[in-house]
Amino acid sequence: MMIWAIFAAMTGAAVFALLWPLSRGRAQGFADAADARSLYRSQLKEIDRDLARKLIGDEEAQAARTEAARRLLRAAGDEADPTGETEPSLRRRRASSALMLSIVPLLALLIYGLYGSPGQPDQPLAARLEKAGPQQDFAIVLARMEAHLAANPGDAKGWALLAPIYLRQGRYDEAAKAFAAAVRAGKPDAELYAGLGEARIMETGGIVTAAAREALAEAVKLDPKSPRARYYLALAKEQDGDGEGAQAALAQLLAEAPADADWSGAVRARLERMQADAGRKAVAALPEAERQQAIKGMVDGLAERLSTGGGSLPEWSRLIRARTVLGDKPAALQAVKTARERLADDKAALAAIDALADELALKEAAP
Amino acid sequence: MIVEIGHYALALALGVSVIQTVVPFWGVFRQDRTLASVGSSAALVSFALVALSFAALVTSYVRSDFSVGNVVANSHSAQPLIYKFTSVWGNHEGSMLLWVLILTLFGALVALSRRSLPPRLRAGALAAQGLVAVAFLAFTLFTSNPFQRLSPVPAEGQDLNPILQDLGLAIHPPLLYIGYVGFSITYAFAVAALIDGRIDAMWARAVRPWTLLAWTFLTLGIAMGSYWAYYELGWGGWWFWDPVENASFMPWLAGTALIHSTVVMEKRDALKVWTILLAILTFSLSLLGTFIVRSGVLTSVHSFATDPARGLFILFILIFFVGGSLALFAWRAPLLRQGGLFAPVSRESALVVNNVFLATACATVFVGTLYPLLLEMVTGDKISVGPPFYNATFVPVMVPLLLLLPIGQSLAWKRGDLLGAAQRNAFAFGVAVLAALALLSFTRGGPVLAPLGVGLGVFLVLGAGFDLAERIVTRASGWRAMLSRARGLPRSAWGTALAHAGVGLSIIGIAAQAWSSEAITVLKPGERLTSGRYTITLEGMSPRTGPNFRAEIARFQVFSGDRELAPIEASKRIYTARAMPTTEAGIRTDGLSQAYVSLGEAQDGGVAVRLYDKPLILLIWIGSLVMALGGGLSLTDRRFRLAAPKRAAPAAAVQPAE
Amino acid sequence: MTLAQPTRPLPAKRRLTRKQRRLTLIAAAGAVLFLAAGLVLFAMRDTIVFFYGPTEIAEKGVQPGTRMRLGGLVEAGSVQRNGGQRISFSVTDGKTSIKVGYDGLLPDLFREGQGVVTEGVFEGAGRFKADSVLAKHDETYMPREVADALKKQGHWQAGGSGSPAAAPAKP
Repeated sequence: MMIWAIFAAMTGAAVFALLWPLSRGRAQGFADAADARSLYRSQLKEIDRDLARKLIGDEEAQAARTEAARRLLRAAGDEADPTGETEPSLRRRRASSALMLSIVPLLALLIYGLYGSPGQPDQPLAARLEKAGPQQDFAIVLARMEAHLAANPGDAKGWALLAPIYLRQGRYDEAAKAFAAAVRAGKPDAELYAGLGEARIMETGGIVTAAAREALAEAVKLDPKSPRARYYLALAKEQDGDGEGAQAALAQLLAEAPADADWSGAVRARLERMQADAGRKAVAALPEAERQQAIKGMVDGLAERLSTGGGSLPEWSRLIRARTVLGDKPAALQAVKTARERLADDKAALAAIDALADELALKEAAP
Repeated sequence: MIVEIGHYALALALGVSVIQTVVPFWGVFRQDRTLASVGSSAALVSFALVALSFAALVTSYVRSDFSVGNVVANSHSAQPLIYKFTSVWGNHEGSMLLWVLILTLFGALVALSRRSLPPRLRAGALAAQGLVAVAFLAFTLFTSNPFQRLSPVPAEGQDLNPILQDLGLAIHPPLLYIGYVGFSITYAFAVAALIDGRIDAMWARAVRPWTLLAWTFLTLGIAMGSYWAYYELGWGGWWFWDPVENASFMPWLAGTALIHSTVVMEKRDALKVWTILLAILTFSLSLLGTFIVRSGVLTSVHSFATDPARGLFILFILIFFVGGSLALFAWRAPLLRQGGLFAPVSRESALVVNNVFLATACATVFVGTLYPLLLEMVTGDKISVGPPFYNATFVPVMVPLLLLLPIGQSLAWKRGDLLGAAQRNAFAFGVAVLAALALLSFTRGGPVLAPLGVGLGVFLVLGAGFDLAERIVTRASGWRAMLSRARGLPRSAWGTALAHAGVGLSIIGIAAQAWSSEAITVLKPGERLTSGRYTITLEGMSPRTGPNFRAEIARFQVFSGDRELAPIEASKRIYTARAMPTTEAGIRTDGLSQAYVSLGEAQDGGVAVRLYDKPLILLIWIGSLVMALGGGLSLTDRRFRLAAPKRAAPAAAVQPAE
Repeated sequence: MTLAQPTRPLPAKRRLTRKQRRLTLIAAAGAVLFLAAGLVLFAMRDTIVFFYGPTEIAEKGVQPGTRMRLGGLVEAGSVQRNGGQRISFSVTDGKTSIKVGYDGLLPDLFREGQGVVTEGVFEGAGRFKADSVLAKHDETYMPREVADALKKQGHWQAGGSGSPAAAPAKP
């Protein structure tokens, strides 16, 4: 709030300074002729001075005087009438004041409102460096850690701390280097090897390279249960074309997962996708009629599952799309309706469903 | 909070500038002096606000506040304090803020110079200037806002472009901008005169100090930029006819013409319409320069990283102010009272000749700068216009002008005596010719034009000196009388002579570059390299660490013949934040000449070394300094600091005007 | 005050009418401008230098011996130092490359894979003898001609390097 008070004071001061000359004195006209007269008079004096110092000759001085005098006479002829305090001049002053009182604050607020960040405090570096404890700002901590590690590259603990941060920030190559440094400097640790594998995979955009595999293998050797390493090794299997092996590995991973494992959701999603992919591949291999049948069966299965409750936006979208593609418009409309009911609490999801309905031209039959 | 206060102050300044434009214009139209006087307070307020804003940005830079995007992109916490300071204008956004700061500063100065300006002219000029401020404040706020905040806040900045981390560049932009922007005042005066429909010697007297001020700083700015390019870029060149250099040179040429034409107007009440046009053109060329530099339409070694929106915005500003004022000129100029007559042989005619040649020279530079752009638009061909073009066009136009300069300078006003003027300069001319001939025979087989150029320079210097002497020395009187005459000479006469002599000095320096020489080789420690008069021996290489860079330094012993000069250090630097290499040339000054060493890459246990002998090169910049000194001296002439013209007592009989 | 001085008439032979003087002035100014225009046209013929990308040289049939500017990327792995200051490298736009010979110091920002502009003489048969290699002030700045030449050959990725802003429309 403080800052708005300052802004208000600044605006007030500026407008006041603008209004000031309007409040002063009576209206005046311009006295140009008087100014001009004084100029030419001073020019005449200058000529006399130059003549006295013998900087110009008599003849030159005479000619110059003549000319200045001529101009002086002309200027005197131009004499303008000064304006007095009149009704129009008062009205003009009021209009100008109104203009100042409105335009200045309005324009300033409009532009500042568009681009300003009134809530953001200054953050000079020195103050950020001094701050300690929990309110310390993250970039500074990171910078300090980096500086510390640049000076002590053997600090395995530091590297182990820094590497996951890089990984989370998407700085994969730096993450890979940090994990590698941690592994090199410290005791062998499954978690670090698994991290190294993950960073290497991310670095290459999801491809499990030989280097990544090596790290993952090392991790499993140290800790056969390491879920991260096992997960990525499963992906490696899939990449090698061993879909069933990958599914089996993930299924086993899920089966052994502790009940509260936060990663099991991700693993399950991946497994389902693998199964779906595998199903699609299998279906694609079927003859035409059977394929339609198989697809319909799958869609019905999905509808069945969704009708019993729950279902996320992507699932509903998939169902609506599938029904439309299969040419079953009433069923598609039914799905839209049910989805709208189920997702009624989620505005964004509703909008998405509506957009999808629009896209698929399912709107006209809507009530 | 400081950042946001700066940001808000800038937005507020835009609003105030709108008032600065609207209300005084209204006052001028309605003959209402009270409304017109709002212009002064608005100009002062708007300067205060922009100054506050600038101070806020400087504070952010000095404190390395990386929550400001502009600071992150152009600063580094390890920079020496001075460069944190100058980084403010080492980038597009910050330099725009500096531009606006100087613009409003000039507005404030006009507002404060109440004594020497007729109030109506001041009001009109402040209004026109306010409009320029509105345009550039809007440009800064909408497309180049230096106060954009970042979140999350980075821990370190990306550093300023290393070649800009240099003292020369720290002061080059402010000088140049004072020059560029100073011409906005003459522009504003011209627009005010056109709107008012009245123009006279008063106008010329009011405009002249501003023109002189802008010209003086533009001269310094260009010279500084040229010297910076010379020692920082490491190619030993001092002028490249690069579009951005031309962008500053064109307003300089037009401004030089303007200085001379306002003299004619003040003294003889003539050349009015032309002077108005010249005032408009000079600032238009400044705007064109801004457009060229900021939009990136022309390839240049300078070029800021560009952004189409900015280019378009500036183009719009350019078209509005140039087109608008020229339209105003076409409409109102015929209404201006025509100026006086003058004889063909007179000082005023000589000044017209000066104007014709300067305008033509400016036009050749204009063509050379913009022709590539035009050709590319029409045919798609890309060309570059380099020094050979300007040598074939600009130089032949300037030579007759410079040859005529001393003669014109010694002509009297109104009715001159050509023969007398020629006689007065015969001695100077004779000496110059002798000097050229002597050089020619001494350097037989060398470049022919160089001795002639030196001769021309000598002619200019001597001509200026003799002209002064003529007015001081008389046969009959003793030294005491002469001294009093010298003191009696107006400062502007001294200024004129100095400026013209400065041109001569620069010409000598430029011509002498034809004798410069260059040698290049790979040197191992202990080996020697000779170029021209200088021989260097590589002593050794050593690493060094600076605040935000690492350097590899080579030390050389320098000999001129058998005489040993102080050693030279040249280096290659790597700036860590950007991992960008730069070359720091090593320069040893020897009288007015310099030995110039720049390093290439290290190879085979040695390092590539380039050595130049640059004879008399310092004269180029000394000449520019002398020119600027002349401008400054003229500025202090008492005519420009006249006591307040006594205002007639308020008329007793007040009549309503409407 | 000496306001009452009568103006002396000028000698008759020097009195030209206002119009005549103005015409003389305009004629003189016109002559200077005309001369300058002549100089400019003359200079245009042989002092300007065209800019081409490697592919354009072939397309436009540039004659060997032509003075020109060549721009493109320095081909990775093509820089060779042949002792002393003699350097050769290839300038490419991804489609065609031209072998450039140069004798001198390279600018600080000359790097393989980076944009470069060289000025010199085209020797024919894909060879170019450069007498200057132009530096840039900023490592993120790409000379606009180079950017355009690369864009023509589909080798331009926007972002990072300065965009060819406000480029005039090409026919």
